Amino acid sequence: MSERMASEEGSARAVPPRFMVPVDGRPESLAALQAAASMARGAPWLAAQVEPPSRLHHSPRREAQCMEQLRLAERLGAEVVQVNPTGFRVTHDFLALARARGVTALVVPRPRQPRWLGRLRGDLVEDLLRGDPGLEVRVIPADPDAPAGPPLALSPDHPDLRRLGTAMAAVALATAGGLVIFRFLDLADVAMLYILCITVVATHYGQWAALLASGLSVAALDYFFIPPRFTFAVQDIRHIGTFGVMLGVGWVVASLAERIRAQTRMALDRERHTGSLYRLGAALAEGGDAAAIQDRVESYLRRAMGLPALVLLADRQGRLGHRTAKGIVPEPDELAVAQWALESGAPAGRGTQVLPGARGLFLPLVGTEGPVGVLALFQDPARPAVGPQGLTLALAAQISLALERARLAEERAEARMRADHEQLRSTLLSSVSHDLRTPLGTITGATTSLLDPGPEAAPGDQRMLLQTIHQESCRLERLVDNLLELTKLESGQVHVKKEWVPMEEVVGSAVGRMEEQLGDRPLTLDLREAWVPLDPVLLEQVLLNLLDNALKFSPPGSKIELEGWAEGGRALLTVSDQGPGFAPGEEQRVFEKLYRGSCSAKAPGAGLGLAICRGIIQAHGGTITAASRPQGGAKITLTLPIEGAPPELSPDGPA
Amino acid sequence: MSPDHPLVLVIEDEAPLRRYLRAALQAFGYRVEEAATGAEGRNLLVQLDPAVVLLDLGLPDGDGLELAREIRGWSRVPIIIVSARGKEEDKIQALDLGADDYLTKPFGSGELLARIRVALRHSADSAGEPVEPVVEIGPLRMDFAAREVFLDGEPVHLSPNEYGLLSALVRHAGKVLTHKQLLEEVWGGVASAQPTYLRVYMASLRKKLEPDPARPRLLLTEPGVGYRLKA
Repeated sequence: MSERMASEEGSARAVPPRFMVPVDGRPESLAALQAAASMARGAPWLAAQVEPPSRLHHSPRREAQCMEQLRLAERLGAEVVQVNPTGFRVTHDFLALARARGVTALVVPRPRQPRWLGRLRGDLVEDLLRGDPGLEVRVIPADPDAPAGPPLALSPDHPDLRRLGTAMAAVALATAGGLVIFRFLDLADVAMLYILCITVVATHYGQWAALLASGLSVAALDYFFIPPRFTFAVQDIRHIGTFGVMLGVGWVVASLAERIRAQTRMALDRERHTGSLYRLGAALAEGGDAAAIQDRVESYLRRAMGLPALVLLADRQGRLGHRTAKGIVPEPDELAVAQWALESGAPAGRGTQVLPGARGLFLPLVGTEGPVGVLALFQDPARPAVGPQGLTLALAAQISLALERARLAEERAEARMRADHEQLRSTLLSSVSHDLRTPLGTITGATTSLLDPGPEAAPGDQRMLLQTIHQESCRLERLVDNLLELTKLESGQVHVKKEWVPMEEVVGSAVGRMEEQLGDRPLTLDLREAWVPLDPVLLEQVLLNLLDNALKFSPPGSKIELEGWAEGGRALLTVSDQGPGFAPGEEQRVFEKLYRGSCSAKAPGAGLGLAICRGIIQAHGGTITAASRPQGGAKITLTLPIEGAPPELSPDGPA
Repeated sequence: MSPDHPLVLVIEDEAPLRRYLRAALQAFGYRVEEAATGAEGRNLLVQLDPAVVLLDLGLPDGDGLELAREIRGWSRVPIIIVSARGKEEDKIQALDLGADDYLTKPFGSGELLARIRVALRHSADSAGEPVEPVVEIGPLRMDFAAREVFLDGEPVHLSPNEYGLLSALVRHAGKVLTHKQLLEEVWGGVASAQPTYLRVYMASLRKKLEPDPARPRLLLTEPGVGYRLKA
């Protein structure tokens, strides 16, 4: 074959050529890839995998090389595409792809096989040159030092003794049949019988069996039927032609049958491939965080493909996290291989050229923004290796995208939380600084007038000023307490220590501490006897806040009611006042941090109290709700679950 | 100021608080010595033999709890812990180590003086004077010799456990007793005894002694710490 150009090199100069390189795993392809990359000069070009996957199954080494070359192509800037095989002419499929992608020039390696062999077996380059006269074809001489690979050609199944035996038996049967019918019929009919036998063997038992059957048939026909009978001698030269036809029929039928089998296998492969991807896609579409994706992918691969798999996630520093699954505990050296796969971006382990002896295949999971992890497929050493082929790579790509999506979602959520925190901090700052300043200002003012009383100061003024200072200090104290409590709640430092406590005890201690603030404000307590599992310190905090709110938001002298009872496995406590209640729609918002009710403008407070109450009650597994009472006033209801049995000790019982 | 005025040693690192304590205590006839660190406090304690120690748990040169444990090793001087709110664990630990009572910052002078009075009284009791056979606290009268309890002059029938609990509180009237201390006093530290038992007996005691158990006048709850009989 000569290095010829299907069109003049200069003719395509106006439009930059768009190159495509066939990649089939032979070492020669490397030279073509490098040449194409340098000729493309940064313009987009394509690398096409031309060998149908089913054929690649025959040679894992070849397949690994092919993948290696495709990755190299990608690094060189090519877009990697796959020729969709229709099962017959690879050339035809390849050219169809080239036309579809607007390719103007093909870059192909010069084949290393002798010309006569190429003629005999058919050769991609030769076919391409004939296939489309509109395409420019550049033939790249191979690197003379590179080892020659096996050519791209049909590689039949290896002979199988059982099948060969069947072929022999079939020919024996045909001979027996022939001996019977030869008494009544012509020699041509016996030859037909042999051809039928060859056809059956070829369609069912493969090429080698067909070849054997053809040979044996020719020999048997010659020996048993061609005069002189029972010798291998041939009298009539005509019969040589018959032999040729029989051999030819055997070969052609076997080739066709082989092709159909390959096509069927391919179709099945493709279906499995598509089905697997589809089902994995469906599993991944459920969304969720990275951990959920890990679990789902692992269980899917184990269930659907019988592959024990691990999805190892990389942290931000690019280190893989350790992970185990049912029955899979990766060894340290396996993790090292996985880490290598992550860092190099190339598959490693079983079925690759890097540590092919490993138990697992490690596929890097690379998202659009870099590596996210490694998919480790652990395999039964007794079964054929599953290498980095079309399906596993496509699965890895799909998993990568899902993981990246999850990671991005996490980052978004984090960013939102940070923004919320920022927002909260600034609101808190302005609100708190206001609430801190007001009492501090009052205290400073009152103390200066105490230190420097005017000549007209009445004796009663002094006491009044001192009372003001005392009240404002209490206010400050409550605010600081709430701030601390909220910080503890938010940072998860609050641990609920539940103990069985009678309701009257926890209410009693809170009311006791409010006694001074309550003064002569009427407070009615209506408590049924109930034992509730709760944290007495935290619940006192809740009740103090609720009573404090009731005091602040209702007119002086109006009644405050506190009721408590147990029903249906929970304890209920309500605190009601006779203030203005809540504006419609703000019953939920009052529990938000820093939210201050519409009527709270006059009353002091940073809007932390109810948020703290909600935090504490939720930590108890309870609920807290706000409502306006029909007769006016606010009513806060909190519920606490009562789980387990309350203590049953008679006053004179044991212990 | 005469030496028979009781001496209060204040071990507290914050100067404004020391100043307030000195003013409040001196106004009620106590002598006051101040120490800003634990080491200084230890020295003054040995030299001066105060009647009461006010000890801040958050000292710059070490753990106030440690100091309390150390002092208890060689002195029975009443120790009143001063600590911030929300540190119930620390308070319980200090009390169980032998501190007599605690004050939660910020506290008023009334509370401060009441605690000191109770501490002084109990230290006098334990200094050899026997517990009086009959104690009267508000409407409550407890006759230890006859094992009888009267409320507003009426006899009250108490179960043995209730009586044990009440007598422990009365003997330490005004002083906080932790759950652990009460369990040890009443049940001798039975391993199975839990705060829940205490709550059961406290609830029934309140039913018998308090007109409104939800607004107790005598049997006060110190949430998360223990109980106190109002002196």
